[in-house]
Amino acid sequence: MELDYIMGIMPALIDGTKETLKIFCFTLLFALPLALPISMSAISRFWPLKALAKIYIWVFRGTPLMLQIFFFFYCLPMLTPIKLDRLSTAIFTFVLNYAAYFAEIYRGGIESIDRGQREAAKSLGFSRWQTMYLIIIPQAVRRVIPPVSNEVITLIKDTALVYVIGVPELMKAAKDANNRDVDPTAYFIAALIYLALTFILTMISRQLERRYSRHERKDAV
Amino acid sequence: MAILEIKQVKKRFGHDVDALDDVSLSVAEGEAVAIIGSSGSGKSTLLRSVNNLERVSGGEIVIDGDVLVHTDESGNVQYPPDREIRRICTKTSMVFQHFNLFPHLSCLENVTLAPVKILKKSKEESAAKARELLEIVGLSQKADSYPDQLSGGQKQRIAIARALAMDPQIMLFDEPTSALDPEITNEVTRVIEDLVRRRMTMLIVTHDMRFARDAASRVVFMDSGRIVEQGPPKQLFEHPESERLQEFIRSYQG
Repeated sequence: MELDYIMGIMPALIDGTKETLKIFCFTLLFALPLALPISMSAISRFWPLKALAKIYIWVFRGTPLMLQIFFFFYCLPMLTPIKLDRLSTAIFTFVLNYAAYFAEIYRGGIESIDRGQREAAKSLGFSRWQTMYLIIIPQAVRRVIPPVSNEVITLIKDTALVYVIGVPELMKAAKDANNRDVDPTAYFIAALIYLALTFILTMISRQLERRYSRHERKDAV
Repeated sequence: MAILEIKQVKKRFGHDVDALDDVSLSVAEGEAVAIIGSSGSGKSTLLRSVNNLERVSGGEIVIDGDVLVHTDESGNVQYPPDREIRRICTKTSMVFQHFNLFPHLSCLENVTLAPVKILKKSKEESAAKARELLEIVGLSQKADSYPDQLSGGQKQRIAIARALAMDPQIMLFDEPTSALDPEITNEVTRVIEDLVRRRMTMLIVTHDMRFARDAASRVVFMDSGRIVEQGPPKQLFEHPESERLQEFIRSYQG
């Protein structure tokens, strides 16, 4: 591992990291909000909506992410007039996949809130919708932060899968360098970059947990 | 005129369990009615039916002239549309055994949330009223605390303030002291007794016989989904007529 060699491959790895972060950020930007209506549908009393949400979640959690990436890359242009570039296809797939996981986490969070909360809200005259956004969701947010953080960290690593359709992200940049130079140094550096990213995410999630659990501390006045 | 009229209310869970079996009860304004009876006698179910937390299987409930539910000639139970039910139910306020305060809101916010969102009062007006109510329950210093920082007795007093903030015509208490340690039930019963003096109309499901005897204006004894006996507390506790009530009172005297 020579410093000159490392400096030589760094620009490509940094470009790859930028692509990785693009997939990561866009996925969160769309999947986190999209999961909310899906989770609400999954607990809806209107059965067609509920069935639809359940099937959606089943399909996207029940098949490999890699398969979904291939499916949308090859089948989307064949079956629909939609033409997406490689990066957009990757983001599209990740959004749909992660929304399913997030929706299940939200559903669990919402259902974990004590029945007494709904009863108190109902007896005060809140509608179902008001109860949801004023009382249930604010409490559920805090409970879903740890599992959502877990998924977010998994997402950073999952982005490596999209090298299979040739998106020039970090994993592909490392693989290309290794193939070209027959030198695994690039893999080593890529690993360090992934570790740095997951470290930062872990810190952020810890901060969020602390912020949202403020009212639960008995000692604070 | 009665402010609460319950006529021949039935409630069936599943096929053959009658939680309420033709219960009729009329409550006048300013009355404090204690409902006693062993677990499973239907007393909580009756209270929850008045607040629409349970849907009845038959009968009629009229709150302050508004029909919450009635049953037509062919036996169909009729509830008005949701919006109308919510309007009628804001005439009653419920205090729960397990408090059910909103843990993500401060005590003051717990009390002001419903007046602001449902009665559409201004934040300032609701906060001023809330502070008055916290004063009444003796917890004005806890306005900015969160429920998890309070003891059980304090939580229940906040819950009472939250219920009062909706200006209900009837207060419903579902075993308000059953989840509390014996030595702190007093701080809650004192608040309820204060409401009795203020002539608040109340329905109180309770296991606290001392409270029922000393504070209530009428005591209703329920057993197996029916009202077996009712009357002034003195009469009921000193001269119980039915064998079932005699047994029940003996069990409390140990």
